[in-house]
Amino acid sequence: MFDIVQKKWIFFGISLALCLISIVSLIFRGFNLDTDFSGGIALTYEVKGDDFSTEDMSALVSEALGAGKAASSVQKSGSDVIIKVGYDKDITDEERTEFSNTVRDSITTALEGKFGAPVVDSAAAAEATAAPDETAATEATADPAASTDPAAAEAVATEAPAANADGELTSGVRLKSMDDISPSSGRELARSALWMSLLACAAILLYVTFRFEFTSGCVAIIALVHDVLILLGVYSILQISVNINFIAAVLTVLGYSINNTIVIMDRIRENTRNSRKETYGEIANNSIWQTMTRSINTTITTLLTIGMVFIIGVASIKAFALPIIIGIVVGFFSSVFITGPLWATWRDSAVNAKRAAAGNGKSNSKKK
Amino acid sequence: MSRSLVKFAAIILVIAALLYVGVYGLDFTDKYRIPGVMDSDGITQGLDLKGGTVIVFRAATTDPSEEDMDNVVNLLRRRLDFQGYTEASVTMQGSNKVRVEIPDVQDSDTAVETLGATAQLEFKDANGNTIMTGSEVTNASSEYGQTEQGISRNSYYISMEFTPEGQQKFSEATRTAAAAKSSNMNYITIEMDGNVLTAPRVNEQIDSDSCIITGEFTADEASALAANIKSGQLPFSLAVDEVKVVSATLGEEALSKAITAGIIGLILVLLFMLLIYRLQGLMADFALMFYVAVVLILLANFHINITLPGIAGIILAIGMAVDANVVIFERVKEELKLGKTVRSAVDAGFHRALSAVIDSNVTTIISAVILWWLGTGTIKGFGITLFMGIVVSMISAIFVTRFLLKQMIGMNVKNPWLYGLNKSKTGSESVKGGKA
Repeated sequence: MFDIVQKKWIFFGISLALCLISIVSLIFRGFNLDTDFSGGIALTYEVKGDDFSTEDMSALVSEALGAGKAASSVQKSGSDVIIKVGYDKDITDEERTEFSNTVRDSITTALEGKFGAPVVDSAAAAEATAAPDETAATEATADPAASTDPAAAEAVATEAPAANADGELTSGVRLKSMDDISPSSGRELARSALWMSLLACAAILLYVTFRFEFTSGCVAIIALVHDVLILLGVYSILQISVNINFIAAVLTVLGYSINNTIVIMDRIRENTRNSRKETYGEIANNSIWQTMTRSINTTITTLLTIGMVFIIGVASIKAFALPIIIGIVVGFFSSVFITGPLWATWRDSAVNAKRAAAGNGKSNSKKK
Repeated sequence: MSRSLVKFAAIILVIAALLYVGVYGLDFTDKYRIPGVMDSDGITQGLDLKGGTVIVFRAATTDPSEEDMDNVVNLLRRRLDFQGYTEASVTMQGSNKVRVEIPDVQDSDTAVETLGATAQLEFKDANGNTIMTGSEVTNASSEYGQTEQGISRNSYYISMEFTPEGQQKFSEATRTAAAAKSSNMNYITIEMDGNVLTAPRVNEQIDSDSCIITGEFTADEASALAANIKSGQLPFSLAVDEVKVVSATLGEEALSKAITAGIIGLILVLLFMLLIYRLQGLMADFALMFYVAVVLILLANFHINITLPGIAGIILAIGMAVDANVVIFERVKEELKLGKTVRSAVDAGFHRALSAVIDSNVTTIISAVILWWLGTGTIKGFGITLFMGIVVSMISAIFVTRFLLKQMIGMNVKNPWLYGLNKSKTGSESVKGGKA
């Protein structure tokens, strides 16, 4: 059988290279932070009828926003377009509300000018037409002396759906969702995300060192850091936007990618107990191969389900599934090709240091 | 053998029944019933699925006291109730934020305005001059009773109480207003952020620490108005920190696609397990159906807020759920290769794989709990479902699968091929299996 431990430098090399590239990219390119973190407005429009290209849409949006301003990203997803506009870091609350309204209104106007006002399915439209009349009626009573209860009047007004909120869109363009986040809120979210990740790392480290001996615990944590580092690296290199869901995905990867490592370490623990003759390298290699089918099969079943979510889901859920998929694949690689060899190397060097001349150390030192 | 068969059939029936209950619910009577996910009250959909508006307000002051924040939460809740949004939720977020979730409402501008308009309550005279502000009102409540002597009809009215300073200002203002009766300018407007709440007529000077506003109020109108007047006492205004609006159509699309993805993923995993692990795989598939049933029942009965990432958590957990079985079955295969009988191989497989199964799941549980505990909004939902999924899957993979396999062995189904071994070794077990 192919000796993974013997060929460890190939895998260590691949890992180190990937980690290095990730670190360099994280330092120099950083993340493409979504409005969740940076503060800004994200608008999702559904466009029916004419097809459009991202470039055309960007141009249209820039024009609508006026001089000097541009959307931070324009993204196409099926017949939807997601437009994001960032806020200045130190915008005041009042300015922000005004800015947000202007941005939304001008983009909506521009899009409707190009693709037409929304036309919805007749059944749903009938439902929606009842509402505006009520709104008009309440406005009429808003005269100071006559109005006794504006709260009730406003209630009716809010209940009236934005004329075309329901029903199937047949042509034109309509706002499907809006996300407006202040810069301070984004900073807070980033802080809490960092805390959550650190806490998760600490708790997992604690558990692993408690359950396994020190070397295995350290190896598992190194693999974990490796997985997350490469995951972050992929996002930095490809400049995929990072939002709060990404943080949840990273934490899931933190918890799950260590699974394979633990199963392998568990087998190493068992094999070490049962055998005294084999070198650490042999034990590690045997353990890896004994658990190989399991590692592959588990990875496949998990990828089958989360992969379906990625293939079929809507844009926001795709963005959630992707980092989990990357994390699971990287996690498989590190568990199978890195943790075992690393454990053996570590153990060997410890043994060598202790009893440099002892016979037990000889066969091990060959592998160095 | 027959006893094993009965037990086996019984557990399959139980799983089928649980699945039925999970999907369609069970109604004993109208009152005592277990809702299923297909029932209208079965699933508590998060706003990202149902459509609606989320607004996060921030106290526009540094270090608001806990008491003040509680007041804000109560006030917003009351306002939402008065406006008929009984399904809306108001929760504290951090120490200085309030998160409001209003299902089905897409018009965020109006919602922000109505809810956020807590800043300034002003009393103005007919010429628009400010007389006093809400801070000089100590209490406002709606009451029911006789409002004027000589009129026996009872009606709803609003009762206000003033601070001594407020009393003096109000007294002066009412004197001036009453004097203008002839020119029909004898009213005082009560405005909130410039919007007129009410404009009662003044017939005489009122020099008292309390007064009443009468009119043709309904009970709801009166209490809404009283609440609005009272809210003018808020010590700070609210800044809007976040607004999220999701249309119902987007949510519907997301939900139906996620469910499709879940079902296809589930079928693929079922087939995969069957193909790779044969009879054991089939038992794992039954256990997986048990998992699905339990998760559905939990979702429908514990009113877990289902968000889009939450559904992803459930689907992800399906893939992770079989992991425990994969670990165990691989182990069983190894034991069979060592020449053990099927019975002892299964026992050893479960026994030996247990530590790996538990250890590997605990770390994922740690992550899920942190997301549940510290996450907000949709992320919290993901943490809950992921946690639930892993715990239930571990139980079903270990106990249900094991129980089913034992019954299979009890029924003398012992061909090692069925347990995943490639070369059929039927007959050899009696020779090699002396250990058992």
